[in-house]
Amino acid sequence: MSKIIALVGNPNSGKTTLFNALTGANHHVGNWPGVTVERKEGQFRFGGDVYTVVDLPGIYSLGAFSEDEMVARDFILSGEPDVVINVVDATNIERNLYLTTQLLEMGAKVVVALNMVDEASSLSMSFDTETLAKRLGAPVVPTVASKRKGLDDLVAKAVELMQASPQGRKQPLSYGESVDVQVTRLQEVLAGKKLAYPERWVAVKLLEGDAHVRSMVQASLTSHELQEFERVYSELAAHGSDLALEIVDGRYRFVHSVTNGAVNRPKEQVLTLTDHLDRVLTHKYWGLPLFALIMFTVFQLTFALGQDVFGEWVAEGVGLVGGALDGLLLRMNAPEWLRAYTAEGLVGGVGAVLEFIPLIVILYTLMGLLEDSGYMARAAYVMDNTMRSVGLQGKTFVPLIVGFGCNVPGVMATRTLENRRDRMIAILINPFMSCGAKIPIYLAFIAAFFPAHGAVVMFSLYVLGILVALLMGKILGNTLFKGEVSHFLMELPPYRIPTIRNVVRNMWDNVAGFLVRAGTVIFLVISLLWVLAVLPGGVEPYGSESVLGRIGTLIAPIFAPAGFGNWQASVGLFSGIAAKEAVVATLGMVYAGVEEGVELISALQGAFTPLTALSFMIMTLLYTPCVATLATIRKETGSAKWALFSAIYSFGIGWLGAVLVFQVGRLLGVG
Amino acid sequence: MLKELLVEISASNYISKTQLAAKLQRPVGLIADGIVQLVRLGYLAEGQGLEDCDAHCAKCPYASLCIGNAIHTLSITAAGERFLQGQ
Repeated sequence: MSKIIALVGNPNSGKTTLFNALTGANHHVGNWPGVTVERKEGQFRFGGDVYTVVDLPGIYSLGAFSEDEMVARDFILSGEPDVVINVVDATNIERNLYLTTQLLEMGAKVVVALNMVDEASSLSMSFDTETLAKRLGAPVVPTVASKRKGLDDLVAKAVELMQASPQGRKQPLSYGESVDVQVTRLQEVLAGKKLAYPERWVAVKLLEGDAHVRSMVQASLTSHELQEFERVYSELAAHGSDLALEIVDGRYRFVHSVTNGAVNRPKEQVLTLTDHLDRVLTHKYWGLPLFALIMFTVFQLTFALGQDVFGEWVAEGVGLVGGALDGLLLRMNAPEWLRAYTAEGLVGGVGAVLEFIPLIVILYTLMGLLEDSGYMARAAYVMDNTMRSVGLQGKTFVPLIVGFGCNVPGVMATRTLENRRDRMIAILINPFMSCGAKIPIYLAFIAAFFPAHGAVVMFSLYVLGILVALLMGKILGNTLFKGEVSHFLMELPPYRIPTIRNVVRNMWDNVAGFLVRAGTVIFLVISLLWVLAVLPGGVEPYGSESVLGRIGTLIAPIFAPAGFGNWQASVGLFSGIAAKEAVVATLGMVYAGVEEGVELISALQGAFTPLTALSFMIMTLLYTPCVATLATIRKETGSAKWALFSAIYSFGIGWLGAVLVFQVGRLLGVG
Repeated sequence: MLKELLVEISASNYISKTQLAAKLQRPVGLIADGIVQLVRLGYLAEGQGLEDCDAHCAKCPYASLCIGNAIHTLSITAAGERFLQGQ
């Protein structure tokens, strides 16, 4: 019968390359019994003898955390392999030797294949393999499996070791005095018992809290032995709650003592470009102003490119499509109401929303560049201190960032907050974020009243949304949701050059969402409102006597203190509860219907002043979330009460903000 | 190394493996491994990702936004805090 060699190593250590190099095509693949882990086995000849190689799964340790680890551990402990070849990635030797340490603990006959030494050499690393072997108590053979270098030496060492007496370090690995004492004590209890595995290894595993080994021990002992074992074990466990940490740390200390001086690497440039950039971009004092500056630049570019360069094209395109559609309907002798619906409902309403697509494309392309570069994670970090200062944890900013796209996934993203207090606050402040659907509203009013200061107004609205969210977070945290702020650490990913594919996909996801909503929700809302605007028959369509006009007239007084107490604005806000884009679509329809050929922008200039436009934008930024968001709040909080609370309290805050701006502005003589 | 790593993490504002490696004079790969070990041992807990938040909003046209902002977070568990207090 051929001797068996087990190949063990970390993932990507070159283990499979070594297996293929040794066995060539002479191997087969099956499964380990009872599990879905793949078992690769092959044979090769050396010195006239045939050897069987078993390629074990790639693992980092020999715990009981995964099926892969269990399979590898059980196979080595079964005594089936005559020798273990431990493939170690030379470029990452310290990490790989952790597994080696565990193999040595088992008392296995181990040969270390120090693989990829060519790559390590290109990184100017060098190894004193003799010292390494001496310190480990196991042969170390440099190899390059991909080039078949060192394989003969490796196999020769493995064969030599097979014939040697059982291996084992003269001095067992020390985990520190306090742990060693406990290992010895447990070892004494287990001495002479019929265990399948070495006593010391079993003792260490028990102190590590390995449930699998514990069951194995319990099954192997007589009831008297078990009683004695449980008594000692509980005593030790009660005295050392951090034993597992001490043991793992002991292995790392051992690895350090093995490699110290025997592995030479150039003085690494440990701080990367990412670290240097982060020193500036996440700076305690400059981080936040830099974030603000970056966002302001994004808006500035959005207006410069989206409005000035591409804006006219789409507006003209919508006009042309509207004209062509009307001409077609005229040639088809379509009824008058259908022509009116197409011109005023579809083109005036839905078309008004579509005109802002160029700006949205530019905005989300720029946001995609920031996100793909890794900067948005820094934005969350930079906001961390600010969030904490108002009693919120920094991670709360992550759902808020998602809310800049849409509040629905923003509310859902609060699931990442484990603490209910943090989560409830994050849900209730998310709708204050300027979601993508609010952008057309801002753009329409900016185009009408603040064309030269678009970026400033847009940026201010985003900032205002964040400030109101923080203020409300503070108030909610001190009233309805008292409690301690939980502490999180963010792992900042390295910066990278954004890929065109990711940026375009991010932009398209947003624009596609916008188009889908224009073609579904907005279309339905506008169709319904159009019917209400032309009924009942005999009254002037789009007039105050229409059903829509009467509804608007009924609610308009509520908004009079905010300066926009006309029925059209009221109806626009009302429709925005269905979907925020519907505000612009509704205004487009009701104003386009009053006088043929009147465009939304000029209609807004006639109906609003710069001051009332500002108060209207603040109202749309802060007031009641759309129904989709409210439904999500109900679902995520598990209560209709919180959805209702969100609808009412945010309306109140929006109204208060709008009234405040209008009244203060009026007192100051603005507008 | 794990103890020192946990102490360093608790003193940091955010996790940068290269900065931790520089402070502890260990290779970055070993720091990454150490963080995995601390999670395994229950001293650190990994934050839940956003990857699963699109499960219930697949019909929403903005569903794809759910997966756009995954930020990996770690928190020090009660066991970690207890250990740090004993240091």
